[in-house]
Amino acid sequence: MARTSLLPPGSFPWLVAHEIRQTMRGMRARTRTRTRWLGYALLAGYVAIGCFVGWGLSFVPIRFSGLASTIILAVSIGAFAFMVAQAVLGSQHTLYEAGDLDLLLSAPMPERTVLAAKLTGIAGAIVATYLVLLLPMLVPIAVLGHPALLGAVGLLLALALVAACLGLAITLALAKLAGPRAARTVGQIAAAVLGGALFLFGQYTSNGPRSGRAAIFDWLRHRHLGESGIGALPGKAAFGDPLAILLLCGGALLVFAATGFAFQRWFLTSYQMASVRLSRAAPTGKAIGRTFRTGLFATIVAKEVRLLLRDPALAFQIVLRVVYLAPLLFLALGRNNAVPVAPTLAFASVVVIGQLAGSFAWLAISAEDTPDLLTVAPVDKRDVDRAKLAAALAMAAPLGVILPLAVATETPVGGLVTLALTAAAGVAAGYIELRLAKPMPRKSFNQRRGGGAVAGILAMLVTVVFGGLAAGAVYLLG
Amino acid sequence: MTDLALRIRGLKKAFDKPVITGLDLDVAAGQLYALLGPNGAGKTTTLRMVTGLTRPDAGSIEIYGIDAARDPLGAKAITAWLPDDPMLYDKLTPTEYLAFVAGLWRVPPAQAVPEAERLLKWLELWDQRDTRCEGFSRGMKQKVALAGALIHQPRLLILDEPLTGLDATMARSVKDALRAQVDAGATVIVTTHILEVAERLADRIGIIAHGRMLVEGTMAELRERVGGEDATLEDAFIRLTSEAA
Repeated sequence: MARTSLLPPGSFPWLVAHEIRQTMRGMRARTRTRTRWLGYALLAGYVAIGCFVGWGLSFVPIRFSGLASTIILAVSIGAFAFMVAQAVLGSQHTLYEAGDLDLLLSAPMPERTVLAAKLTGIAGAIVATYLVLLLPMLVPIAVLGHPALLGAVGLLLALALVAACLGLAITLALAKLAGPRAARTVGQIAAAVLGGALFLFGQYTSNGPRSGRAAIFDWLRHRHLGESGIGALPGKAAFGDPLAILLLCGGALLVFAATGFAFQRWFLTSYQMASVRLSRAAPTGKAIGRTFRTGLFATIVAKEVRLLLRDPALAFQIVLRVVYLAPLLFLALGRNNAVPVAPTLAFASVVVIGQLAGSFAWLAISAEDTPDLLTVAPVDKRDVDRAKLAAALAMAAPLGVILPLAVATETPVGGLVTLALTAAAGVAAGYIELRLAKPMPRKSFNQRRGGGAVAGILAMLVTVVFGGLAAGAVYLLG
Repeated sequence: MTDLALRIRGLKKAFDKPVITGLDLDVAAGQLYALLGPNGAGKTTTLRMVTGLTRPDAGSIEIYGIDAARDPLGAKAITAWLPDDPMLYDKLTPTEYLAFVAGLWRVPPAQAVPEAERLLKWLELWDQRDTRCEGFSRGMKQKVALAGALIHQPRLLILDEPLTGLDATMARSVKDALRAQVDAGATVIVTTHILEVAERLADRIGIIAHGRMLVEGTMAELRERVGGEDATLEDAFIRLTSEAA
C-alpha cells in the first residue's frame, strides 16, 4: 500500500525531508551492521552518563556568568570553524558528486527551492553530527532541573545554518576562481586542507609547546568579548535567553535567505560547469613509443604513479592521513621536550611512512579501477600484486628518506637504523594491505577502513612496534 | 592443432539460483559467432567464465585446445574480452592505456607501438591520443577499450554488446573491424540485442535461454528450424525463446 506524505509533494519541506532521508541513508550505508550496533551501544552508554551528570547537576544552580559566556563563545568559534569545513565538503558533494541535481533542476519547481533545500540538507547534516554529541548530555541536564539550557540547541541550529551558507559561498568562490575544469579538484583539496589545518590547529592548541587553547581563551577574556554585546549572544542563547535565541536564529535565517537569493545564479552556473567534462590535453606531438614499457613490473609501476599524480585530491587525502598523525609528535615534543628529538623523529618516520605505504598499497591493490582487466590478462596475480606493492613503496620512498636524514644529523648510525626500519615498516604495512584489504572504489579512500578495518588496525600496530624499535635504537645509539 | 576456437562442455554455474545449467557450445575457428538470448539467459555469465572472470561450478572450457582451468594464463594470452562497460582508467590517455594493456599481455614495444598507432588512427582516436579518457563519451571509451582488446592481436575476441553507445558511423566501423578480424583468421564471439546486426554479421548464431543452448546454427538453419523461409532472426528468436519459456 502506498504511503501518503504529510508534506505536499514538490514543496520546500517535502524536498528537505527527501534531503534528510538521503543523508540518513548515506550515513547508514557507510557503516556496517556490526559497527552500527557498536555505535548504538556507545550512544546508550553516553546517554547513561548524561543522565548521571544531569542528576548530579540537578542540585547545583547553573547561572549565566561572564566566564561561562566566554567559554561558550570560544567553543562556538571552534565548532563553527569545523562546521564550515564540513559545509564545504557537503557543498562539494552536492555540486559534484550527489548526481541528483539533473533530476531536481529539470523538475517543475523553482531553482531557489532546490538550492534552499540543498542548503538545509547541508546544515541538517552538520546539526545531526553535533546533536548526537550534545543531546545525550544536554537533555538529561535540562529535564532534571535546567530547562533553560535547551537554548544551546537554538545556538547550534543558528551556527549550522550560517556555516552551511559560508561553506557554499567558499565552494562557489573556489569554483569561480579555479574555473570549471579544476573546480572540483580545487574544492576537494581546499576542504581537505581546511579540515587538516583546523585539526592541526586544534591539536597544537591543546598539545603544543604552550597551551594555545588557554591563550585564546585568555585573549577573549581580557577583551571581555564573551561577556557583553554581540559576543555574549552565544552564551545568553545557550542559557535560554529568548531574545538571544531569537536574534541568533533570526539572523541565521536572514543569512540563509540572502545566500539563497545571492548565490542562486552562481550555484546553477557552477553546477552546469561541473557537468561539462572538459578534455584535458591536446596532442603533445611526442612519439607514442615513449609511453610503452618493457616488462610487467615497469608497466604497472608507471600506471600506478600516473594515476596517483593525476588525482591531486586523492593525494591530498593521503597526505592528510599523515597530518592526522601529528598529535603523536605534539604529544612527544609538546610538553617541555619531554622526549628527546631524534628518537621521536625516528618513531615518526617509521609510523608516517608505514601509513603512507599502506595507503599507497591500498590504492594500488584494493582500489584497482579495472580488476577485470587484470583478471583476464595472462599474468600471474602474485606478479601483479608484487609489482603493485613495489609501486606503492616507490611512491612512499621519496618521503621516507627525509626523517632518517634528520636523525642522521644527530646520530648517523641511528639514521641508518631508522631508514632500515622505515623501509621494513613500509613493506610490512603494504604486505598487510596486500593480504587483508577489501576491494573498494578509489574514491572511497576515506572510508577504506570500513572495508578493511583489520588491515588498518594491524598495519598501525605493526608500524607502531617498528617505530618503537627505531626510537629505542636511536635513543641507545644517541 | 584443433579447428575449434572454443569448446564448452557441461558448463554449470549457480548464484542464488542456477544460471547456467549444462551448456555445450562449439565455436569453430575463423568464425564470427553471435550468442543471443533474452535478458538473464546467461550469456554474459558464460562469457565471463570463458575469460576466467567467473569460476564455473562444473564443466570444461577449451580455447584453441587449451584447457582454461589447467592453463589459464595460456588461454588468456590468446583471448581478448570487451565487456559492455569498458574496462578503462579515466586518468589515463588512450596511448597510456594501450601501453598498459600491451604490458599486461607482454607485447614487446617494438611490436606494440606500431600496432597502437595503427589502431588509434583507424579508430579515429589519434587526435585524442594524449587526452585523458575521463572526458570521453561512452562511444569513445568503447573505442579505446576495443583498441585495447585488439592490441595484442588475440586469436579469440569476445565482445559483450560491443555496439552499445556507438554512433552509426562508428558502429559500422566496429562491425567492419570484427569482420576484418575474422578474415584475418581470428575468431569473434559477440552478444547483442540488436538482432539485425547478428543476422547480417554472424556466420553462426546460438540462442540460449535459462542457461542452456536452445538452438544453434547458421541463419538458414535457424529459418528452417522455425519453418519459414522468409523468417527473420527476430521471428526465430521470439518463437524459440517463447517456446522455451
